[in-house]
Amino acid sequence: MDPLIVTQAINVLYAVSTLAVLALGLAVIFGLLGVLNIAHGEFIMIGAYCAYITQANGWPYLAALPLTLVLCGMLGVAVEWVMIRPLYRRPFDTLVATWGLSLLLRKIAEAIFGLGFRSVNIPLPGTVEFLGIEYPLYRLFLIVLSFATVAGLVIWYGNSRTGNQIRAMVSNPELAQAQGISIRRLASGTFVTGTCLAGLGGVMVAPLVPVQPFMGLDYVLRTFFVLIVGGLGSVQGLLSGAAVIGGFDSVVSAATNATDGYFAVLVLSILFLWLKPRGIVARG
Amino acid sequence: MTHRIQGPTRRKFLGTAAAGAAFGALPALVRTASAADDFKIGLFIALSGPASLFGPTQRASAELAAEEVNKAGGILGRQVKLIPTDAGGPPAESTKSAIRLMLEEKVDLFIGSHDSATREALVATIKGKVPYIYTPTYEGGECAFNTYVIADTPEQQIRPSLTWMMKDKGAKSVYMIGDDYVWPRKCNEYAKKLISENGGKVVAEEYVPFGAPNKFEEIVTRIKSAKPDTVLITLVGADNVNFNRTFAGFGLDKDISRLSLLLEENTLLGVGAESSKNLYSSMSYYANAPGEANKKFKQAYFAKFGDKAPQLGLIGADCYGGVNCAKALVTKAGGTNAQKCMAASEGITFESAAGPWTMHGRHVDKTMYLADCKGTEFEILQTFANVKSGEVCKA
Repeated sequence: MDPLIVTQAINVLYAVSTLAVLALGLAVIFGLLGVLNIAHGEFIMIGAYCAYITQANGWPYLAALPLTLVLCGMLGVAVEWVMIRPLYRRPFDTLVATWGLSLLLRKIAEAIFGLGFRSVNIPLPGTVEFLGIEYPLYRLFLIVLSFATVAGLVIWYGNSRTGNQIRAMVSNPELAQAQGISIRRLASGTFVTGTCLAGLGGVMVAPLVPVQPFMGLDYVLRTFFVLIVGGLGSVQGLLSGAAVIGGFDSVVSAATNATDGYFAVLVLSILFLWLKPRGIVARG
Repeated sequence: MTHRIQGPTRRKFLGTAAAGAAFGALPALVRTASAADDFKIGLFIALSGPASLFGPTQRASAELAAEEVNKAGGILGRQVKLIPTDAGGPPAESTKSAIRLMLEEKVDLFIGSHDSATREALVATIKGKVPYIYTPTYEGGECAFNTYVIADTPEQQIRPSLTWMMKDKGAKSVYMIGDDYVWPRKCNEYAKKLISENGGKVVAEEYVPFGAPNKFEEIVTRIKSAKPDTVLITLVGADNVNFNRTFAGFGLDKDISRLSLLLEENTLLGVGAESSKNLYSSMSYYANAPGEANKKFKQAYFAKFGDKAPQLGLIGADCYGGVNCAKALVTKAGGTNAQKCMAASEGITFESAAGPWTMHGRHVDKTMYLADCKGTEFEILQTFANVKSGEVCKA
């Protein structure tokens, strides 16, 4: 087969899988709690800076993971407690509050690191040859890791006791509370899971993109599109949203050019909002 | 230079609100704070948005020049007072500021270091009422009344460097990639003529939406299959970083050279050492450019701002030349009368960070450099002395 087509096909796979992982944290927070977290991109940025700090100190790359979990976790707990808890079930208010949070986080990053670009070295450099093509090793690794992460979360959500409790909380909070489930703790835990997932997404993409305070803006729009198109509250929705948005963008960009790809994404999102506002996989 | 999809409406809202508040409260304060006979310069630089990365350097370089001018007696005996104003948002915001500066502050002159879209809007707003000096790199062709350009032109940036890539490095086929706005398109238009003059060919010309969250896997894959000898890059900022990292990530840096037209110190730090092999840049200033003038400029710069001095590079250091150009222009014209300034501009000489520049046709002939990226440092490979701007505007 034509190596160009094979490579572009893997590019599509890469676009879809990384977008699914980057949208995962938002899917948890927006999809399950109904909180429109505009600061999602900033948590990705924090993860990316954690990767940068790790490298600047000469620690092994994997050390970025615990660092991100601690930082995004603590921040998630504080934000949920101070800002989100009084605003549950008021989606527009959470949107404005988290927008303010995104500005604050960006400014804090700017105050600490400045506006300059930082680059993080790729932990698995080089390319590998297969199927007659050459593809960057780290990107291949990300494809595998992304699918594994999503699959892992699906299995956990479907089978664990906590997963069951979250589903109970989402479908009927009062009844869940009556059953002795602590809604408050569960919601807080769900929010923190979301911020941590966003941070981990940042650690994953940090070596591939310019790390700077504004980088979160690149992700927040696309990840919201994923959820709009896919539908809230289910893994099938997340994956189909990522497949449509990431896949369509990548395929059109490969077939014609990047402008058409971006145009296609915008048109698709508008069409979905207009004709199918609940997304491909609507929750019952 | 870019503004993201999420940004403009909010920034606009905030900007308007803040401007409204400032409008009500400030003018009285400002008037008392500045002496009546100060020579006021409206300095358009990026204070917000992603391009605000350059803001601190732009401001510092202009302040250094203003301090030197003031020590030497100011402009026509008047002390220079800079009024830094944001040009990092949408052009319409900058034009509003320009009107306010002209009516409220009664500025004597404008200096601008920002993108071409904002320059076009400002030229249309200022209408030549106040002299306007434009400083960074640009696509050429600006001959508006009472407007003076000290920026690098395509003739200066592209002709020597691309000719070198084709003649000395033997590049025959060129792939063009840029952001979709006036500067990249005009640069490529110029480059295409030059490439055919030299018997080369353009393999493809491609643009990505300006200010969108672009990614480059598909484009890099396409370049790989097109197998050009060199890639001419007119991407800016984060897109430039992103493209070059993806390019090297896919292993293309081994066989294909790259010439970038807006690659300065900050951008190269983002590209990183592992992605900067076989990457070239062409501009009139680098922080480590040779020459006594730059040495002197840097000494003064670091003496004034110390260890925390903002990163030096072309975008920023251009403002130093801008302020000195203002002094030379207004001194020779004996004031800011438009006709007199237009006539006086021909042949004025002033100090830039890179050395003395002389104005012809309201543009500047200058020494250009071709730099090879060694890790995250520029190594000057070629020096092209006294390159003509290729632009001639009537006096």
